[in-house]
Amino acid sequence: MKLQNLSIKRKLMLITMLTSSVALLLSSASFLIYDLISFRHLLTQDLETQAQIIGYNSAAAMAFKDEPVATATLAALKAKEDIVAAVLYTPDGKIFAQYVPGDKAAPAVVPPKLYRTGYRFEGGYFDVLHDVTLNGEHVGTLLLRSDMREWSRRAKRYALIFFIFVFASGLFALLLSSKLQRMISRPILQLEDTIRIVSANKNYEIRAENTYGDEIGRLMDGFNNMLAEIQQRDTALLNANDQLHARTEELEREVAQRQQAQEELLKAKHAAEEASRAKSAFLANMSHELRTPLNAIIGYSEMLEEETRESGNTEAIQDLQKIQTAGKHLLSLINDVLDLSKIEAGKMTLHLEIFDVPPMIRQIVTTLEPAATKNSNVINVRVAEGVDSMRADITKVRQILVNLVSNACKFTDSGTISVNVEPITAEGQDWIRFEVCDTGIGITPKQRKQLFQEFAQADTSISRKYGGTGLGLAISHRFAQMMNGHIDVESEPGKGSTFTVLLPVEVKSEGQESPSSETTLEPAKPPRPGASNQDTILVIDDDATCRDLMSRSLNKLGLNVILTGSGEEGIELARRMRPFAITLDVLLPDRDGWSVLHELKTDPELSSIPVIMLTIIDNESLALSMGASNYLVKPLDRERLAVLIEKYRAGRSSKSPNRNSSNRTAEKREELAPTKA
Amino acid sequence: MPKILLVEDNEMNRDMLSRRLQRKGYAVVMAQDGEQGLEFARSESPDLILMDISLPKMDGWQVTRFLKSNPETKGIPVIALTAHALSTDRQKAFEIGCDDYDTKPVEFGRLSEKIEHLLVEKSVS
Repeated sequence: MKLQNLSIKRKLMLITMLTSSVALLLSSASFLIYDLISFRHLLTQDLETQAQIIGYNSAAAMAFKDEPVATATLAALKAKEDIVAAVLYTPDGKIFAQYVPGDKAAPAVVPPKLYRTGYRFEGGYFDVLHDVTLNGEHVGTLLLRSDMREWSRRAKRYALIFFIFVFASGLFALLLSSKLQRMISRPILQLEDTIRIVSANKNYEIRAENTYGDEIGRLMDGFNNMLAEIQQRDTALLNANDQLHARTEELEREVAQRQQAQEELLKAKHAAEEASRAKSAFLANMSHELRTPLNAIIGYSEMLEEETRESGNTEAIQDLQKIQTAGKHLLSLINDVLDLSKIEAGKMTLHLEIFDVPPMIRQIVTTLEPAATKNSNVINVRVAEGVDSMRADITKVRQILVNLVSNACKFTDSGTISVNVEPITAEGQDWIRFEVCDTGIGITPKQRKQLFQEFAQADTSISRKYGGTGLGLAISHRFAQMMNGHIDVESEPGKGSTFTVLLPVEVKSEGQESPSSETTLEPAKPPRPGASNQDTILVIDDDATCRDLMSRSLNKLGLNVILTGSGEEGIELARRMRPFAITLDVLLPDRDGWSVLHELKTDPELSSIPVIMLTIIDNESLALSMGASNYLVKPLDRERLAVLIEKYRAGRSSKSPNRNSSNRTAEKREELAPTKA
Repeated sequence: MPKILLVEDNEMNRDMLSRRLQRKGYAVVMAQDGEQGLEFARSESPDLILMDISLPKMDGWQVTRFLKSNPETKGIPVIALTAHALSTDRQKAFEIGCDDYDTKPVEFGRLSEKIEHLLVEKSVS
């Protein structure tokens, strides 16, 4: 065990013990040595004195050579225990007389020869040599030899006392140091304990108990300060943590609340949508239910009017006409409400087609001529050059214009209504501007603000005087917006109003890419070889006459026609040429049309091409279930075929508004479309 | 005297339209529902059919589809009459094979023009 690893307690004890032992040993030893030296000196003196006495007593005997007397004198030394030998030498160095205590052998202790005087320590003996004189004459030499018995005894005793003393004082020192070391070790151990508890329990509230003013006391103070600091930081950290926790909880609560609110909102939204749907459905239903009795009212009153006119009863005619007018007014209200509910429900869709503008304008004016003349108004129409065809929802364009012109007629008396149509270019796009000016009552700026809002006529007195729901302008406004256009109005009260409708020449359906203006204005061209497959149609029919007829009528539509009499070859051609549509006869020589249809519809590359089945066999449901887009029965209705083909062609690509074929169809449809007055 | 088949389930409308057509000089056959309409179209061989779309038993679209897929009745012009003034209806009417289309309440002047036009076209072809 290394010294430095010893505990403080042990180290302190060790230091105390070592220091005190060394000090004790040194002091005891020095005392011992001094005592022994002085004792020896005393012994020497004592021995010399004896030698003088013996020498004096034996001097006469020596001078007279009386040996027995000399020996007897020497024998007096018997009382001295430590004398081991006494010898008298003659001046020439020979033994004259000697004394040896009885228990010693003479030769062992008696030096045979004299060497010199004085005293000396030798071989554990102490020798004293003394000159024996008589009347100043040297008569011999006396040797006294002592074995230092007393000295050794004393030394032994001293040693014993010394060890006992050292042992006792060591014990005492141990006891004392073990008590006293606590003065230093206890505070340190106490501090150590405190540190251990603090670090084990992570409890920074504990403090080291300090009752000391020394360095350790200061160490403890420092430690306590450090603890206080840590505790303070710990508390601050805990507080921050608590705050963070609280904030987190708060946030979580907030998120939960928001989520709940969102769910509620979503529910409310669904409910509102559901209500809106229900409302729309109700309105659509109601309008249908209302139309049926209206049909009867208007019809019967018209019929009665005719009958009355024939019978010459002119009085009743006016009344019958009032019934008719009221009925028609009611009908227009229903139509408006239905339109508006559809717009609000988002169910109003655009049916874009290409049509010529001038005939539409003429038709509208013709329709509204009676309304104009009723208030003695004149309608002037001016269609600028360059106004040709446009691509839009014709029904909605017509409805907007009818609305504006009939409003103008309604609010003008004996005035002029001008309808101006001209092409303009703005914002990098081609537009058609329809302008309806009147010289009527006009509208104030305040009225203008709510003019395009639902159920808001310029003045409530107006509805009493002129009738109407106030929906017409709102609907027109919405329709114009749907076609990416807008309506504006300028007016001076009492002088008249000018309504301006701006619509794109080519209205784009949602998500449709804007075609470049070059393609938009591309003039009509006859079909040409190598035209893109957008203009290519495939005819699969085994009857040559039939193929010829199809080819001719489809060519007229500006299409590139591929003909084949075989089903196998038809599939091959479809893969190679990718036509935009296929007409397929059911009866074919090599395989039947159904299997051809099946193969076309199961090929992922060809399945998107619409197939029109042509047959003399009536099995439409089979055709449609197998994926045919349409089903026509021979002999073929060419108009219907043209309508279908135009539909698929329009679905495949956006076409120029000026194509002959498109115009033909559009015009045809325009004639057939109902006029909404 | 051209014969017109009027397929209409509403009694008042049927009565009113038939009387007005008769006054115009047409012979009128009336059917109350789709099935009857189909039956009369075959048995009476009318010159023209006025077809209401919302009909019980079989709707006007179905009847027209049957008529137009049958070579016997295919040549008879059909004018669809619907109370829904939707352009999708108009489109549907042409796709199904109707020769013309009009909305209810009927504007009689316009309807009789359409009838005459189709009868003339039919006699020419």
